[in-house]
Amino acid sequence: MRSAIAALVAIFVCALIYAGLGYVTNASAAPVTLGASVQLSGPLANTGRYYRDGYQFAVDQINKSGGVKIGNNHEQLALKVLDNQSDNNLAVRQYVQLVSQDKVNLLLGSFASDTVIATSSVAEKYQVPMIQGGGASDQIFDRGYKYIFGTLPVASKYFESTIDAMEKLAPAPRTVALLYADDAFDVSVAKGTRELLGKAGLKIVLDERYSTNASDFASLLARLKSSQPDAVLVAGHETEILNFIRQAKSLNFTPHFYSFTVGVPSADFRKALGADADYAFGMTSWLPSASQKDDYFGNAEEFAQAYVKRFGYEPDYHAASAVADVEAYAKALEAAGTTDPRKVRDAIAHLDFNGLYGHIQFNSVGQISLPQTVIQVQNGKVMPIYGQKGFIDKPEYPMLAWSKR
Amino acid sequence: MSLLWQVLLNGVLLGGLYALMALGLALVWGVLNIVNLAHGAFIMLGAYVCYYAFTGLSIDPFAALPLAMLVLFAFGYLLQRYLLNLVIRAPMFNTLLITFGIDVILTYLAQIAFSADFRTINPSYAGDNFALWGATVPLVRLLAFAIALALTLAMWLFLSRTRLGRAIRATAQNLIAARLYGVEPRNTYALTFGLGAALAGVAGGLYGVVSQVNPYIGTSLTAKSFAIAVIGGLDSPLGVIVGGLFLGIVESLTSLYLGPTYADVASFGILVLVLIVRPTGILGRTA
Repeated sequence: MRSAIAALVAIFVCALIYAGLGYVTNASAAPVTLGASVQLSGPLANTGRYYRDGYQFAVDQINKSGGVKIGNNHEQLALKVLDNQSDNNLAVRQYVQLVSQDKVNLLLGSFASDTVIATSSVAEKYQVPMIQGGGASDQIFDRGYKYIFGTLPVASKYFESTIDAMEKLAPAPRTVALLYADDAFDVSVAKGTRELLGKAGLKIVLDERYSTNASDFASLLARLKSSQPDAVLVAGHETEILNFIRQAKSLNFTPHFYSFTVGVPSADFRKALGADADYAFGMTSWLPSASQKDDYFGNAEEFAQAYVKRFGYEPDYHAASAVADVEAYAKALEAAGTTDPRKVRDAIAHLDFNGLYGHIQFNSVGQISLPQTVIQVQNGKVMPIYGQKGFIDKPEYPMLAWSKR
Repeated sequence: MSLLWQVLLNGVLLGGLYALMALGLALVWGVLNIVNLAHGAFIMLGAYVCYYAFTGLSIDPFAALPLAMLVLFAFGYLLQRYLLNLVIRAPMFNTLLITFGIDVILTYLAQIAFSADFRTINPSYAGDNFALWGATVPLVRLLAFAIALALTLAMWLFLSRTRLGRAIRATAQNLIAARLYGVEPRNTYALTFGLGAALAGVAGGLYGVVSQVNPYIGTSLTAKSFAIAVIGGLDSPLGVIVGGLFLGIVESLTSLYLGPTYADVASFGILVLVLIVRPTGILGRTA
């Protein structure tokens, strides 16, 4: 009895200690601290951790190369990352804490549009800039905020390059099904995609919204099978897309072409699906190519290699976008010559540089313009298929029936 | 027409898996009066047991189900014997809080131990299927359905025919009388909770084969299991299977006719309706 009570107490103490471990990186008092609240636990931890790793890697690398030159001084960067447990309300409170209590100088963002929509209001209210690489929904940028900047491409154009590529396939798909989850990002993607499909003259035979975290796609797949679209475009989350592909296989549904907003660039997604990931199209705003030069990492390819060495997994565009956010601050601080948040904000608005992630220049609403490269999983590897200049590699099209693989 | 047939079939197969998920929760709830909020986390652990047995030891996921049952049984038994038995006589709110705490702890320990990576249990036959009167039947879902039915039936026989099963029911009905007849409640409670956890373990293994596994799948599975247990009633495992099938079919039809975003509205709407109209569940005895 007594030992059991002791065990109970021990469990609760563990829980309390764990709750207290919110501070993941607690850097010493350096002159320029970047603060972020990121999903390190909870349902979004899978992608959230890419942001922590990307931020940390970039900060370390910039410090190693001498830090940031502000005025006549070389200052080191510091990073403070809090775990918001995939809870948007907690994330908002943490940003308030970062700004008002911890007095961080500048803010980095969280993953996911829903979170960024909520947390960017803190940045705007306290007039501290937030450069974020995790939210792409148009809703983040259409509120006239001055302190929010984003390094992901515009959500409504996620499928733009994919639809371009589809038109050039032989035979080109003529009918399309559009499925999307009911969160801010995916609703923005669907809205934009509908317009793009209309412009391209493709017929939408099924246009359906589903609940975020849905795990059963059998009914939707039955409807897809009966409406027989040539192509299926899905805007959702990795777990849903995993389920969708597995259930498509088990219900023997093979369109000519299917493409997904997320998943395909992520190593653990491809690992989970194994050979079933083949033929899936996706898109990425970033590929680790040696031609993308970078002031701190050499180039994107060298960055990717160093990243794998340090973290044990391949970086995708989330991690690269996170690195771009930190680099943007380094450049803006140097241009501003001060850490005053309002002056840094103006310097960010005028940034114009090339890094490992691509060309960083924010438009009037604070978003960058980056082309999406169409990618496809071929024999377990991600191949770049279609970019701004047309086809890069040969697509495997149409998709081979499941029974013939 | 063939669309409706396919969707109905999907609903029935989905319902079988649902029923298996809820079976352990309903058993523990009915006998111990504990609404185990960590039930979904047990399912998650069962899925990881099968995942590691499959990827690490190359044990077929279906052959690994008994292993998942065993591991989860031991875990559940110990948890009840040395932790939950301490508060079993306390108001229900206490056990709710404790199982909620266990859920949080298990989820976070799972993230530390297994990482937040998404995993699937993906044997070569995971996507196999066959045609039946114009509909496609996924093999693995059919197997999961058969296992769910078999376990429900076994559970029902166990509770109604064996001495131990009767002891479990007797403890639930009248503790004092049961003790007078020589039933040792601490052990009986622990066995019951262990059984509930073992059923969650099997459900987890099957869930990993048809869906995907990560440390956070638990919460929504607990909610679903809870709804099924209420809809089916807590008196008998047969009620749970009815509740599971009912929910599976309703969700599939809602998804077909109203749209997939309404599936959850339908299932929890029915939960509310059942609570108003027939609080003891569809098959439950009226009080």
